[in-house]
Amino acid sequence: MTGCYDFCGHYEWTFEWLRQQGGHELVKAYWDESINQDSQVHASTLITAKGFEGMKEYWGPTLADEGAVYHRTVTDDVFRIDMHECPSKGFLLRNGLKQYADYCDHCMGWIGPMMKGAGFVVDHQHNHCGQCWWEMRRKEDATAPSAPGELSGAEDVRLRPGWLRDEPVDTYQRATEPDDKTTA
Amino acid sequence: MTPPVTPLPYMDTKPHGHADFYFAINATFRFILKRFGLEALRRYWQDMGAKYHQPVGERWRQGGLSAVAEHWRAFFAAEPGAEVEVIAEPEEVRLEVRTCPMIKHLREHQREIVPCLCQHCYYVSEAMAAPAGLTVLISGGNGACTQRFLRQTANQPGQQLDQIKEAA
Repeated sequence: MTGCYDFCGHYEWTFEWLRQQGGHELVKAYWDESINQDSQVHASTLITAKGFEGMKEYWGPTLADEGAVYHRTVTDDVFRIDMHECPSKGFLLRNGLKQYADYCDHCMGWIGPMMKGAGFVVDHQHNHCGQCWWEMRRKEDATAPSAPGELSGAEDVRLRPGWLRDEPVDTYQRATEPDDKTTA
Repeated sequence: MTPPVTPLPYMDTKPHGHADFYFAINATFRFILKRFGLEALRRYWQDMGAKYHQPVGERWRQGGLSAVAEHWRAFFAAEPGAEVEVIAEPEEVRLEVRTCPMIKHLREHQREIVPCLCQHCYYVSEAMAAPAGLTVLISGGNGACTQRFLRQTANQPGQQLDQIKEAA
C-alpha cells in the first residue's frame, strides 16, 4: 500500500517521475489539475467562498495535522504565514530524499492557481531549508509585500538567524503560478 | 550519533501520517490514468515499488519474511485508521486488512475513488518483493483484503487481477 506516513517522500519522487514522462509542463499540470483541482478541492471551495476566513479554516487544522511549526498573521487585507519548520520539506531533508530539482515549487504549483481562482495574489519566499513566508492579498490590492518584522513582528521567519544560508532563496511577487519567480 | 534502526526506512517526527494525503494519492492515480492510461499507471506503480521503495526491498532481501512482517507492522501502525493483522508463518506473511485506511478516509470524505486503486497494492508490493525472491498474492479489495507474501517458486501461480475488486 502507498501510505500517508511517508507521503512527502513518494510525492517528491512522483514529481521527477512525471518530469521524465512529460517535462516541466506535465509537472505543473499535475500540481494544478491533480492537487489543486482534485486532491485539495476542499481548500479551494473554502477559500473561494470565504476568502481570508476560508484560509484560516483550511490552514489551521491542516498545518496542525501535518505538524508544522508556523505563525499566522491575519488582518482585513492580508493573510500571512511564517513557516519556521515545514513538515514536508523537513521530512525530505531529515531522510535525505531528493529526486526533483525544487520540491518547494509544488506549493506555488497548487496554491498559486487556487489563489488565482479565488481572486488573490501571492507574495512568497522559500529558502529550500524548510522555511518560507506567504502573504495573500486580494488581486485589486496593490500593496507591496511587508518588510521583515512589519506584519508578524519577531515571528517573521526572515528574522531567523538561519533564514539566509548557502541555498538560494526563491522570490514570488504578486504571483499565481510556480514559474513566476526569481532566484538569488 | 547512529540513527535508530527501525523497520521503516523513512521516519517522521510524528507517529502517524496526515490522512488527507490519501486524497492526493488517489488524485495522482487519477491524473496518470486520465493522461496516459492504465498501462502507464501500472508502470508508475512498478517504478515506485522498485525505485522509491528500493530500501524496503533491500531489507526484505536481507531479512526475508521476518523483515516483511516487521515492515508491515510498523507501516500500518503509522497509517491512521488502519485495522490490519500481520500474521507471520514459516512459509508466508499474511496481511489481513480489515479496514483499509485509504479507502476508509476517501469514503468518509465522499471522494470519488479510482476504480483500479486496489491494484496498486499488487504492483507496488510485487516490485518491492521480486528482488528479494518473494512474490505477493492479493484477494479482495474495496476496503478489506488479504495480502500474502510468499517465496517465489517455479510453480507458484501468479496474481490473477480478477481476484482484486474494483474500489468504489
